[in-house]
Amino acid sequence: MNSLFFSRRQALRVASCGFGSLALSGILAGDESGWVSNPLAAKQPHHAARAKRIIFLFMQGGPSQVDTFDYKPILEKRHGEKMPFDDARTIANTGKRGSEQTLMQSPWKFRQYGECGQPVSELFPQMAQHVDKMCMIHSMHTEGVAHGPATLFLHTGATNFVRPSMGSWISYALGSENDNLPAFVTIAPSPGNGGARNYGNAFLPPVHQGTTLGSAGRPATEAKVRNLINNSLSKDQQQGQFELLRALNAEQTSVRPGDKELDAVISSYELAWRFQNNAPEILDLSRETETTQKMYGMDHKDTFDFGSQCLMARRLAEAGVRYIQVTYGDAGANPAWDQHSNLPKHADHAKRVDKPIAGLLQDLAQRGLLDDTLVWFGAEFGRTPYSQNNGTGRDHNPNGFTTWLAGAGVKAGFKFGASDEFGHKAVESKTHMHDLHATLLHLLGVDHKRLTYSYSGRNFRLTDVHGELATGILS
Amino acid sequence: MFRRFCLVLSCTLLTFPGMAQQPVTLEVDQKASKAKEPTAEQLEFFEKRIRPVLVQHCYKCHSQQAAKKDELRGGLLLDSRAGLLAGGESGETIVPGKPDEGTLLGSLSYDLYEMPPAGKLPAAVIEDFRVWIEMGAVDPREGEVVKAAAIDIEAGREFWAYRPLSPGEAPNHRDAKTPIDAYISSALRAAGLKPVEQASRQVLIRRLYYDLLGLPPTPEQIEAFVESQNEDAYETLVDQLLESPRFGERWGRHWLDVVRYAESVTLRGLIYQQAWRYRDYVIESFNDDVPIDVFIRQQIAGDLLEADDYQQQRKNLVATGYLAMGNNNLEDQDKAKLRMDAVDEQLETIGRGLLGQTIGCARCHDHKFDPIPTKDYYALAGILRNTESIVNANVGKWVESELPLPQQELEAAKQVQDELTLVKSELAKLTKDTKLGVVGVEDVVGLVLDDSDAVLVGNWNKSTSNKTYVGPGYQYASGGAANTSATFEPQEELSGVYEVRFAYAYGSNRPKKLQVEVWDADGSRITELDETTVPAVDGHFDSLGTYRFEKGMKPRVVVDTSKSSAGAAVIDAVQFLSEEQVARESKTVDSEGDQQAVATRVKELEAKVKELEKLTPAKEIYMTVREQKEIADAQVHIRGDVHNLGDDVPRGFLQVATYGPTPPISRGESGRVELGQWITSDSNPLTSRVFANRVWGWLIGVGLVRTPDNFGVTGEVPSHPELLDYLAAQLKGNGWSTKQLIREIVLTATYQRVSVPSEELTERDPENRLLGHMNRRRMDAESILDAMLSVSGKLDLSMGGPTIKSGTKNDYNYPHQGYRRAVYWPAFRNSLPEIFQVFDYPNPSVVVGRRDVSSTSPQALFMLNNPGVMEYCNLAAERFLAMPEVDDEGRITLISLAVLGREPTPREADISLSYVQQAQSEEERLQNWSRVIQAIFATVDFRYIK
Repeated sequence: MNSLFFSRRQALRVASCGFGSLALSGILAGDESGWVSNPLAAKQPHHAARAKRIIFLFMQGGPSQVDTFDYKPILEKRHGEKMPFDDARTIANTGKRGSEQTLMQSPWKFRQYGECGQPVSELFPQMAQHVDKMCMIHSMHTEGVAHGPATLFLHTGATNFVRPSMGSWISYALGSENDNLPAFVTIAPSPGNGGARNYGNAFLPPVHQGTTLGSAGRPATEAKVRNLINNSLSKDQQQGQFELLRALNAEQTSVRPGDKELDAVISSYELAWRFQNNAPEILDLSRETETTQKMYGMDHKDTFDFGSQCLMARRLAEAGVRYIQVTYGDAGANPAWDQHSNLPKHADHAKRVDKPIAGLLQDLAQRGLLDDTLVWFGAEFGRTPYSQNNGTGRDHNPNGFTTWLAGAGVKAGFKFGASDEFGHKAVESKTHMHDLHATLLHLLGVDHKRLTYSYSGRNFRLTDVHGELATGILS
Repeated sequence: MFRRFCLVLSCTLLTFPGMAQQPVTLEVDQKASKAKEPTAEQLEFFEKRIRPVLVQHCYKCHSQQAAKKDELRGGLLLDSRAGLLAGGESGETIVPGKPDEGTLLGSLSYDLYEMPPAGKLPAAVIEDFRVWIEMGAVDPREGEVVKAAAIDIEAGREFWAYRPLSPGEAPNHRDAKTPIDAYISSALRAAGLKPVEQASRQVLIRRLYYDLLGLPPTPEQIEAFVESQNEDAYETLVDQLLESPRFGERWGRHWLDVVRYAESVTLRGLIYQQAWRYRDYVIESFNDDVPIDVFIRQQIAGDLLEADDYQQQRKNLVATGYLAMGNNNLEDQDKAKLRMDAVDEQLETIGRGLLGQTIGCARCHDHKFDPIPTKDYYALAGILRNTESIVNANVGKWVESELPLPQQELEAAKQVQDELTLVKSELAKLTKDTKLGVVGVEDVVGLVLDDSDAVLVGNWNKSTSNKTYVGPGYQYASGGAANTSATFEPQEELSGVYEVRFAYAYGSNRPKKLQVEVWDADGSRITELDETTVPAVDGHFDSLGTYRFEKGMKPRVVVDTSKSSAGAAVIDAVQFLSEEQVARESKTVDSEGDQQAVATRVKELEAKVKELEKLTPAKEIYMTVREQKEIADAQVHIRGDVHNLGDDVPRGFLQVATYGPTPPISRGESGRVELGQWITSDSNPLTSRVFANRVWGWLIGVGLVRTPDNFGVTGEVPSHPELLDYLAAQLKGNGWSTKQLIREIVLTATYQRVSVPSEELTERDPENRLLGHMNRRRMDAESILDAMLSVSGKLDLSMGGPTIKSGTKNDYNYPHQGYRRAVYWPAFRNSLPEIFQVFDYPNPSVVVGRRDVSSTSPQALFMLNNPGVMEYCNLAAERFLAMPEVDDEGRITLISLAVLGREPTPREADISLSYVQQAQSEEERLQNWSRVIQAIFATVDFRYIK
C-alpha cells in the first residue's frame, strides 16, 4: 500500500512548508549507502511525451467485439451455419485446428455514428456519441486463453512469470507528476485472476506497486485509504499525542544530528500528519456539481458505482497521477463480461459502464484534459464469433478483438487494423498486446526497449523481447 | 544452427572472460550454391518476385542491420544467401528444390509460425516463394554469417564464484579476537582505517535478541545480563538463545524468504491449506540444527530418500513442499507450457536460492553473461520435468498426498477402513443409495488401482461427466482405436486366489463389447464387458472372475481398445479382492429378505458406520511433488518455446560448478536425488558460499556479496573473498551446522562493535564495506509485530499448526488478527497482513535474499492510526498499570526498557510523564499511558537495531 492524495494546491502549500521535495510514498528507499533520493521524483522521459497520463478502463472478462464495435454483417447472413475455426481453447487443450463451430449473430443491432461513421451496437448508445474522439483498434491479439493468464498478460506482459505491472513500470519510468501523489493508482482492482500481481511491482522497488482504492465488487463509497483516519481519538488527543512523538523523536535524534536516514523517518511522520489532516478531500466526490455527477450517471443506481469510480479517476488525473486504472469487474473466477452461456447478459454490464464512460470522455474534453490524457478502453481478450458448444454464449478469443483509445497523441475518429470477415482473428495491421504496451509507453515519452530493470542477472522489459509501435494510430 | 546469435534482449553486452567473441565464418554447404550457374530468368524471378518481399517484410527483424540494432529475431538472417541457407534457431529455413522442407513456407502460410507477424502475405506471393524454392532458390546475394563462439566452460571456471573454496591462512593479527576478526582487521588496516569500539552490554543484548530470536529482551533479562559479573556472560547468553525454540521461528522465517513461502496462489486466491506443515518443518529444522546439506536434500528429493523411521520419513516428505509452492498460473490452457513454466519457476528458485545462479537466463539461449549454456538448463529441467508438481485440469491443482502413520497405527487404521468400507457398501446395497455415484479409492475394499495408476498408451481423455466413478474421475479412449491400451499392474505382490473386478462409468455411448485381459499364474483370460449396462456388482464394478497369483509374478489387467466395439471405452478402476474379503462381503443380509430384518440391519449398520468413523484417524495431508510415470530426458526448447523442440539433452547439472565425476542419474527416477547430492556435494563451490553469505547478511545486515541471490557476473563480487571462503569452509567443516556458524560470527569483535561510525569511517568508507563499525538495521515487519505483541503481554508463544481460519475458501481480504508470532500469520499472496505490506515484507512469489528497506508515510500512518497497534498499546498500558508497587517514574523506565531496551533519557522521561500526568481520571490515565507506549513504538529508536 502506497498511499495518499493531495490536490496541486495543497501540494504547493506543503511544499512551502519545506517538505515538498519529499514524495509522500517513498521518502527513502535504503541502499548500500543508506541513502537514495526520492524514488518517485518526476523523471525525464526518453522523448517528448504526447500524453502525460493514462486512464485505463478495464472491462474484466472480455466484452465481445462482434457485439460492440466490430460489426460483421456476415454473422447475420450465415447465422447457425457450421464451419471450421481455429478455436484457441481447442488448440491449447488438444492441438487440434479447424474444429467445427456454429456461427452466431449478434442479438444487438448496429448503427453508424459520428463523422467517422464508426458502427456501434445498441449496447453502447452513450459511448457511441463520442466515436469521433476514439481511435478503434480492431486488430488486437494477445496471449492466454483463460482469464488468469490473459489478465496477467494484459497487466504485466507475461502469462505466468511474476513480472511488474504496466502501471509499476510507468511509475518507475516517470515517477510522479505530483510530489505528493503515487504515480499508479488502481481503483476497484479485482482480487481474482492474478489479483495483486496485476498491480504488483514484482522485482521493482515496492514504492512502485499500485495504490489500491476499494476492491472490485465492493461499493465505490468504500474506496478509502487505509489508516488515514483514527476513529478512536479526538482531533485534540491526536494532536497531543503527535506533539509527544515529535518531542521524543527530537530528543532521540539530537545525538545524531544530520542523520539522513533518521530524518527521513521523522519526515514521514510529518507528512503523514499533514495528509491525515488535509488529504481525504481528493476522493470527496460531493465537491463536484450535480451536473457533473449526473454526467457520470451518479444519479442512477445502475451507474452510481462505476460513475463514481470514473469521476475519481478524473480527479486523480487532474491531480497528476500518471496511470489510473478503473476496473469494471468482480471478485469471481468468471468475471463480469464473461458470458459463456448467456450472451444477452452483456446488456447489464453495458448499461453500467456506458453512461459513466461517455461522461468521463465528455468531462475530460470539456476541461481540456483530453489533450494530455489518454483514455484506454479494453479487456484481456475478446470473444468468439461463434457460439460456445452450440449454446447461447461466446467463449474467450485471444486471436482477435477490439480496444479503443481516446485523447492525447492518438488519431481521433480513426479505425486501425481489421479482423477477418467473421471478426475471429486479427488479420490487418495486427496489434499484439506487447505492441499496444509499446505504443502506450511511447505516447508517455518512454521507449519500451530502453525501459529496463536489472534483476536476476539480466535486464527485464515490459515487452520482453517483443513489441512494435503501432505508428499508424499516432496523431 | 548458430547459437548465441539471439541478441534480442536488451542485456547490455558485457564480455564474459570465458567467452571468446571471435567471429567465425560458418561453413555453408557449397554444393547448393555452386550447383549450376543460374539462368537469367531465375535471377529475374528472384529480383522481381522475391527480393522486394524479403526487403519489405523480413529484413526488419532478420538482417545484419537488425542484428546491429539488437533486434535480430530467431537467430535468422534473411539478407544474404548464406544466412538463408544457414537457417535460424528453429532449424533449416529452406532446402533448395524441396519446398516442403524448411520453415519458410510453413511460416508464410501461417501453419508453422505466423510470418510476417503484421499480417499474412497474399496467396500469390506465397506461391512465388514455392516456385522459387522449387527452381533451386537462386539467390545472388553476398554476405557472410558470423557466429559467436560457444561458451568456454573451462575459462568460465576462472570467475571467483566457480573456483574451489580457498580460504587461505587467516591473516595473523595480534589484536584480532577471532579468525573472522583477523580477515576484517587486515582489510581495514590495508585501507588505513581503525574500527570503532565495542558496544555496551545493553546494546548487545537487544541486538542479540532480535538477531537470534526476533524478539525484544524483557527488562529483567536486560538487567540480569548488564549486571552479570560473569566474564562469559555474553557467550553464555549466545548459547542460551541458540537453544531457544524462538530461534527456529526467527531463522526459519529467513529461509522462508528464500523459498518464496506462501499459503495461497494468486490465481483465484486458492489456499494452500497444508503449507503450514512445510513452515513448521523449516522452523523445527533450524531449531534442531539439521545440517544444511541434509536440509537441502530433503527439500529437493525427500520423497525419494531412505528414512530411519516414520517420523524422519514424514519430515522428508513435507520438505518437498519446497518445490510445490511456485505461484503458477494453474489456469493456463496450454498444459505443456504450464508444465515447463513450473519447471522454470523451480529452477529459478533452486538457482537463486541455493546456488546464487540465474539459471533462468539460459532457458531461451545460452546465458549471455555466465557460463551456463542452454544445454545445462535443459539438463536440469529434464530432472524437474520428470517431477509432477501440477495435476492438470481446467484449473490445475498442486499435488497433495497423505502422510504415513507409524506401522502399528497404519495397520489398525487399515483394518478400520476395510471394515468401514464393507459396512458402507452393505448399507448402500440395502438402502439402494443412488448417491453412491462417486466414491473415493479409499472407500473401496481390497487392493484398488485407479485409472491414474494405469500405464496408458495412445490417446486417453480424463472425464468426470458420468457421475458413477471411483476416485477423482475416469478416462476414455475411442473404441476400436489402434495402439491404444491401458495396463493396470499392482506394485504389491499378490499370492493366492483373488476376485478381480473392473470399474467403468457406464453410459449409452459406451462400447457394447470391451475386452479386458487378466494375466495370472496360469496365463491369461479375456472377459468381455458391456459398458452400456450398469456394472453388476455394485454399480461401479463388474467381476472379471477369480484368478490365482503367485509371489514373484506381475499380475496385469489390460484393456486394448483395438479389440473393442465402437464407443467411448472407459477405464475407471481395478479391484483385487482376496478370498477372505469376498467371503466377508457375502455375509451380508440378502436384500430380498424380510423388511423388518432389513430395517434392523440398516440401523445396526448406521450405528457401526458412526462408530467406525470415530475410530478412523484423521488424514494428514501435505503439499508435495511426485515422480512422473514416464521418466525421460528433456529436449531443448528452441527460444524457450514448448512447441518447438530441439535436441535431447541428457539430464545433468551445471558444468561450470562441477568438479570431478557427478552422481550418475538413475534411469527409473527423475534424478532429484542426484540433483540434491550434486548441490550439496563437497566439490560444488557455490552452495556453501551462498548459504554462508546469507547467514552473514542476516546477522550483519548485508552479505559479503551484497547480491546474495546472484553470484554471477552481473552480481557483485565479495568485499572479503577469503573471509567468505573461510565461512563456507567452516560451515562445511562443522557438519553444515547453522548454529555453529552463527555462534562464531556473533562472538567476533566485528559483530560486537557499536553501530556509530567514526568521522574517519564515515568519510572514507561511507558504505561500511570494510565493517569498521556494525551496521544499524531497520527492524523487519515481523520483529515490529512480535515486539508489540510481546510488550502487550499477549504474545502467544504456541508453536506450529494450521493458523488459517477454518472455512476460508480464498485469500481475498483476509481478516488477519491474533496474538501468535508473525511467522505464523498466513502468508497470503493476495492479502498479506497490513504490517507486512507497509514494512517491506518480501514478495512471496519470488526468492528474496535481501529485503528492501524503505521509510514511507504509510508506515507512519500505520503506527499512528492502525486499530491493531492501538489495541496492543492499550493492553500494554493495562499491564504496566497493574503493578501497584511501581510508581510512574519506575513505569516509564520499565516501558522504555521493554520497547527500546534502555532506560529513558531524563528528557524522555520528563516528556512522557508530563503527558501522562495531564490525565483527569483513571480511565484517562490508562488512555494516556497507552498513547505514550504507542508514541515510543513510533520513535526512531524502536525502529532501529543499533
